[in-house]
Amino acid sequence: MKLTNGFDASASALTAQRLRMDVISSNIANAETTRASYVNGRYEPYKRKMVVLEPTSQSFADTLNSQMNGSSQTPGVKATKIIEDSTPLKLVYNPTHPDADENGYVKMPNVDVLKEMVDMISASRSYEANVTAMNATKGMFVKALEIGK
Amino acid sequence: MNLLNGPEFGRLQGAINAAEMRQRVIANNIANVDTPKFKRSEVVFEQLLEQSMGSGAFQIAGKRTNPKHIPIGSSSSVPQAQVITDEVSVMNNDTNNVDIDREMSLLAKNQLNYNFYVQQMNHDVKMMRIGIEGRG
Repeated sequence: MKLTNGFDASASALTAQRLRMDVISSNIANAETTRASYVNGRYEPYKRKMVVLEPTSQSFADTLNSQMNGSSQTPGVKATKIIEDSTPLKLVYNPTHPDADENGYVKMPNVDVLKEMVDMISASRSYEANVTAMNATKGMFVKALEIGK
Repeated sequence: MNLLNGPEFGRLQGAINAAEMRQRVIANNIANVDTPKFKRSEVVFEQLLEQSMGSGAFQIAGKRTNPKHIPIGSSSSVPQAQVITDEVSVMNNDTNNVDIDREMSLLAKNQLNYNFYVQQMNHDVKMMRIGIEGRG
């Protein structure tokens, strides 16, 4: 019975989408954070984080098996790393800010809240789709138990 | 005795196995909907079954006079479901080609098909039971 692997694929995707959601929450929460790290005697603002997703890699045996009889397949997705967005930081003129430089400019995080909201909707919709897939697999599994009844 | 080894049982079993495999493949496609450069896969079974049953397009069938002969064209054996990967089409900027609407409808369709196969199998078992017990 290989049906449970459908669960594994959906479960790995739920984990990955939840991680995306966590990272997006962190980005939105730190949209105004000017003191994320302390480098060389200066405070550096928060930098936007992004999750890198990859399909679960197949072992040699899996690949050979799928090429030989087209059956076995290791499904799923995994988050391999969290990277920082390299887009330039925003410069805002605010001389009264404690982190303003000598010209009165403050470096603000490169977080675009609008972009984060769009990503958030995408992550939550993907999460829902995977829950639906998982429920479908569950329904099929329950139905298979009825064979011969 | 050919109670549970008849061709219709073999075909149903093949169809159920194919539906299971398709469920796995669709779940994998949906899981990777946000993965850059991912290419979707799908399971081919019904077309292969149709070809092997000879009801598809015209094809040459070898006559077998000995059970050891290799079947050519139409045969009574149930084909193995195959996974094929669509490497050609592109859906997004990141060359991922998973269309989530299509995958969700295929998922629903596959679930209904699976339920139908199980129901048909149960029906076969029920008919057989009626035959054995001699009453309805």
